[in-house]
Amino acid sequence: MNRNITISFGLHTILVIITAMSLPFLSKKPIDLPPIISVELIQISDKTSIPFAPKAKKIIEKVKEKEKKLVSEQAPPKKVKKLKPDSVPLPDEKIEKVKKIKDEKQNPKKVETEVKQVSEFEKKELFDTNSIAALIDKSKVESAETNKKLDKITQDQDKNMDFSGLSLSEEDALKAQIFGCWSIPLGLPYNEDLLVRIKLQLKPDGSIIKTEILDHARMNKPGQGFYKVLAQSALRAIKLCQPLRVPSKGYEKWKELQLNFDARQMLEG
Amino acid sequence: MNLSKILKNGFLILIASLVLTACATQKKVSTGKMQGDVYTGTDSVEYLASGVPDRVFFATNETVLTTASRETLRKQAAWLRKNSNINVVLEGHADERGTREYNLALGERRANSAKDYLMTYGISSDRISVLSYGKERPVDSGSNPLAWSKNRRSVTVKAN
Amino acid sequence: MIFRHLIILLILLPIKAFALVEVDITRGNLNPLPIAVSPLSIDEKSKISFEKILKKENIGEEISTIVENNLKQTGLFNSLDKDAFLQKPDIANLKPRFEDWNLIKAQVLITGKVSFVDEKLRVEFRLWDVLAGREMMALAFTTVPSNWRRVGHIITDKVYETLTGEKGYFDTRIIYVAEEGPKTNRIKKLAIMDQDGFNNKFLTLGNELVLTPRFSPTNQMITYLSYFRNLPRVYLLDIETGLQEVVGDFPGMTFAPRFSPDGKKIIMSFAENGNSDIYTMDLENRIVERITNHPSIDTSPSFSPDGKKITFNSDRSKYQQIYVMDSNGKNVKRISFGNGLYGTPVWSPRGDLIAFTKLHKGKFYIGVMRADGTGERLLTENFYQEAPSWSPNGRVLIFYRETKTNSKGEGFSAKLWSIDLTGYNEKMVETKTDASDPSWSSLLSN
Repeated sequence: MNRNITISFGLHTILVIITAMSLPFLSKKPIDLPPIISVELIQISDKTSIPFAPKAKKIIEKVKEKEKKLVSEQAPPKKVKKLKPDSVPLPDEKIEKVKKIKDEKQNPKKVETEVKQVSEFEKKELFDTNSIAALIDKSKVESAETNKKLDKITQDQDKNMDFSGLSLSEEDALKAQIFGCWSIPLGLPYNEDLLVRIKLQLKPDGSIIKTEILDHARMNKPGQGFYKVLAQSALRAIKLCQPLRVPSKGYEKWKELQLNFDARQMLEG
Repeated sequence: MNLSKILKNGFLILIASLVLTACATQKKVSTGKMQGDVYTGTDSVEYLASGVPDRVFFATNETVLTTASRETLRKQAAWLRKNSNINVVLEGHADERGTREYNLALGERRANSAKDYLMTYGISSDRISVLSYGKERPVDSGSNPLAWSKNRRSVTVKAN
Repeated sequence: MIFRHLIILLILLPIKAFALVEVDITRGNLNPLPIAVSPLSIDEKSKISFEKILKKENIGEEISTIVENNLKQTGLFNSLDKDAFLQKPDIANLKPRFEDWNLIKAQVLITGKVSFVDEKLRVEFRLWDVLAGREMMALAFTTVPSNWRRVGHIITDKVYETLTGEKGYFDTRIIYVAEEGPKTNRIKKLAIMDQDGFNNKFLTLGNELVLTPRFSPTNQMITYLSYFRNLPRVYLLDIETGLQEVVGDFPGMTFAPRFSPDGKKIIMSFAENGNSDIYTMDLENRIVERITNHPSIDTSPSFSPDGKKITFNSDRSKYQQIYVMDSNGKNVKRISFGNGLYGTPVWSPRGDLIAFTKLHKGKFYIGVMRADGTGERLLTENFYQEAPSWSPNGRVLIFYRETKTNSKGEGFSAKLWSIDLTGYNEKMVETKTDASDPSWSSLLSN
């Protein structure tokens, strides 16, 4: 037994010496702190609820110029954000997108007159704007979700106007409300496509006139039973949350709303 | 690097490691009932005859015979040669730290290891049958390495 | 040509002007769905008849309680307190006042009616979407009164399927080994019970050791290992008749038996001279076929639901690992590669996953992996647990746990546990005695 202890002691001493030579706490190097970057905190509501009138004229001028140019439908993007196709868009990207949508809504009258002028000049058959709208909307709908966000950016990129249907804070309020109402079915398979898009028509007080599930065909597809369950849970969430937390003004901008229920984040857990 | 600092810290480490090693050494020395993973004690061992232990022990997941096991089996073989009318059943067992079905197979393999060895010492296979109990019949119901080592065994039982 | 482009562009502009505001909802709550299960309404005459036959005062309430408990224990539903219900069962079944049910925050409602017709039990039930104010499902069926518990389970299966998109697993039974006595000499009996713990019956007396029972897919036969006369062999037991018979005529221990998905074969291990290999026996013509031929231990075989492949446990690479092969024994491939020992592979009835037991650094885990070995996920960890068995819809795993004993060997217990595939809802399955080796039947109503 003694022999063992002696050997153990000797070997340990050797180890200790080696460790002592190389232990970091023995060498007193100064700690390297990263340089302090000064950050300025801005209130974003200033940026998102900008009054439109002063800028409107400038913007309308810009639109006219662009119309005269020969551009393809997919003009080279001015601000291309590197998006992973199926990621949730970041808040600042949303501001861009939402702002651009607001732009267009602000000036429907102006642009319409342009259209009329050109078509008279043209003497071609009148395009049925509604059917084209339907086609374009459908193509937006039918394109795979992976491309959805990308398309949005390229379509809107040539407009950098300052309009939006909902401000960031208004959108957050609505989201927070629905988060509370949506009981995500726990039994869903977590590695499937878990996105349900529902189009809503709203009354000014936030109550619902009509709901429509996009991708309706998936509801009864065999093997996609969970999609129906997910869609039903989304519908229940909407019904439960009536009246929706909508802004008090600007009804025209948000009277039609599309809610994209994506359960992946919650279930990936 | 400051030499005194090195010595000071080195001393602290030394004390700490000695304390730890001392504890470890203590355990091994006091029980003396396990070598590596194999039970070497006499607790739970019965005797077929004076000086003939009835069982051999195994390491975790192993079915090979240790030197001690072989010695025991040689004694058993000698006794079986002397008592040629006695038949035996070799009962193979496993500890509880494994899945039930695999343990049944492991017990069978352990008993067969012992049987094969007895056969090399001239005992006819007609006199030896094998029965595995897997983990179903532990001899020690404790949940610790010592108890488990006692349960990893092949026991020679008189059949008549 | 130019003008064409211009016009398209111009048309795009006003259309974009009306583009929808899109809001992404990426979070919700994971609360169980609030559901109200109204007692089934029953007329006085039927009530009296059932009381006489079944000795139950209000069969309508009893059946709805079964549904309620089934749904609650899935962890997916929150059944609301009956005392808060405003509408009486008979009225609620005809035309529920959704405002009343909405008031107590129910999102889904189950109502129904039970009656005694032609000596039989007739039940009709309806599932209502309270928020949408409409009926989601309405079904009726008839059966013998003694099947009243199964009525509750069948209703649950239908409701569950409508609300989750998955087939239910409530009209099923579980076979297991009931055990008692000291750890060194356990008395073990085969036992069978409804998945909710009721109707527990013992199938053997406990005179000999019985282990690892499995249901036949046709549900009337069981296969298991018995030490009858100290000879461990695989047996078949007919639940209806109680008749038992040895499977095959093997000169050594057979163990780890399972049925093939069509119920026509038994697959098991046969141990000889220290080597265990996998064999099948056809139950009709009794032909025995050898599937593996390797000096390693090959055991715990499990067929894929289409019968084309077999997953099994082998130590051919020195330690216990999981392998997959064709049902004729060819193309053996190892699929477990993580750190630790792997055992008890069971193929999910959905065919997508294989559940297993893993032992690593002194801890036992229940986990799942895909049939190619990727996507290994460990669901739960314990001092000792093993042998998962799938519910027929491939969503829930039942397994068993044993506790650690103290130095005196006291404190041993074995209990059945279940866990959802997502890792949620880990809970103990109540049994009067200690229990181990559970196996889940397929749906009884098929």
